[in-house]
Amino acid sequence: MKYITDFASGFMGLFQTGGKTLISWMTSIVPVVLLLLVLMNTIIAFLGEERMNKLARASSKNVVTRYLILPFLSAFMLGNPMAFTMARFLPEYYKPSYYASQAQFCHTSNGVFPHINPGELFIWMGIAQGVQKLGLNTMDLAIRYLLVGMLMNFIGGWVTDFTTAYVCRTSGVTLSKEVKLTAGTAE
Amino acid sequence: MTTWNSIKIVKGSGGWGGPIIVTPTEEKHKFIYVTGGNRPKIVDKIEQLTGMKAIDGFKTSIPDNEVALAIVDCGGTLRCGIYPKKGILTANVLPTGKSGPLAKYITPELYVSAVDVNQISAVDEATAAENVAPTAVSDDQEDSKYDNQKTITQQMEHQGIIAKIGIGAGKVVATFNQAAKESVQTVLNTIIPFMAFVALLIGIIQGSGIGKVFAKIMTPLAGNVWGLMIMGFICSLPFLSPLLGPGAVIGQIIGTLIGVEIGKGHIPPQYALPALFAINTQNACDFIPVGLGLEEAESKTVEVGVPSVLYSRFINGVPRVFVAWLASFGLYAGK
Repeated sequence: MKYITDFASGFMGLFQTGGKTLISWMTSIVPVVLLLLVLMNTIIAFLGEERMNKLARASSKNVVTRYLILPFLSAFMLGNPMAFTMARFLPEYYKPSYYASQAQFCHTSNGVFPHINPGELFIWMGIAQGVQKLGLNTMDLAIRYLLVGMLMNFIGGWVTDFTTAYVCRTSGVTLSKEVKLTAGTAE
Repeated sequence: MTTWNSIKIVKGSGGWGGPIIVTPTEEKHKFIYVTGGNRPKIVDKIEQLTGMKAIDGFKTSIPDNEVALAIVDCGGTLRCGIYPKKGILTANVLPTGKSGPLAKYITPELYVSAVDVNQISAVDEATAAENVAPTAVSDDQEDSKYDNQKTITQQMEHQGIIAKIGIGAGKVVATFNQAAKESVQTVLNTIIPFMAFVALLIGIIQGSGIGKVFAKIMTPLAGNVWGLMIMGFICSLPFLSPLLGPGAVIGQIIGTLIGVEIGKGHIPPQYALPALFAINTQNACDFIPVGLGLEEAESKTVEVGVPSVLYSRFINGVPRVFVAWLASFGLYAGK
């Protein structure tokens, strides 16, 4: 009988531990994220998508605007996954590179601006909650995450320009290369 | 003989619903605006494009079966739902979504919000619904139109500063309110479910003793830069990364496990930064075709883009972790 009781209380203990964790998140993370979302959604509604479209058109010119400024702002303004739509004004050749950069911006900025990618918040929050538990300020981590992200995501987008060229070359037998080249040299 | 033209109304910035197509017919050739006595600019544009007659709903009322479109400025209480409930097409000047006591009647087929002048466009005769019946218009109508126009013009001249401030404030409040509704939905539908799942996972890991086993595996991996780089390397392998991607679930679970170990003090907190990069080198590798679709890429681009992004993720994966490790020096050092 004692074994059964021990087992049952141990089993319930799992849920009590989980429940405590959940409630501590509910009181600490949820209100902050919610209010931040409210403000961000409001700002986005006021600024509007039309201005982003204009910016996107102007950004295709060079690597810095293409893989750093545009994806950073798109992530902030449109979030995951709508940020990807901003690449529709880019030449075909650069679209994979933009994708590589944009997808990572949807995470690295998520520590400071959780409205960008709330569905995948726990990439950030999973680790950050441990730091929080130690009583440290997670914003220190979030800012560095953002800054390292900006640098490395930009490089990531740029490097993809070269891997795209490589894939075009190796798959040269197929027709895709010519289409790529015309799109690429159009710039 | 008056010809009526169809118009298309799409949602504006921060808006909801639509696009709706308004096609005036012999029976329904009037539209009503119920906007507290002020006349929004879109009323003039709709009049111009469709040739329909505008009725101020605060001054006059017309039978519902004559109303082709209702324009409201409702922040989410009653008006935005009352016309859809009657099956009347509704355009809201404010960015209000599906809300209020009549929310269930507000559907994208009947309702569009945050409508301004730019959201309204003419539709070609060909694409318009075929039930437009071109018939002669009676004199009676012409007369009433004139009368109505007159009162409206007078009204426009009387629109003072106070009315403008009121409209502006209403728009700000409604935009905030709508943003709050959307945010609560996001938290309820996406964040809290995942939190419940992760919290249960943490409960099981900590309560059952599996945590100790994990700690033995995780601490040497996540507690130094080489282990993290190995982790990043594995996650970025081009044949593995698309499998690890979906919903970022695996990354989120590994992240939480590392977070738990950091919280217990087994892993120094400055390793949180390289760990954030190590668990996510496979970032969105499963999503490439869909993402390129959102970018409106051609099929050739997708063919090239999928391997290209997989390769670039592989090339960048380990350096990302390394740079993040370099950047982690001094993080939480004094604590």
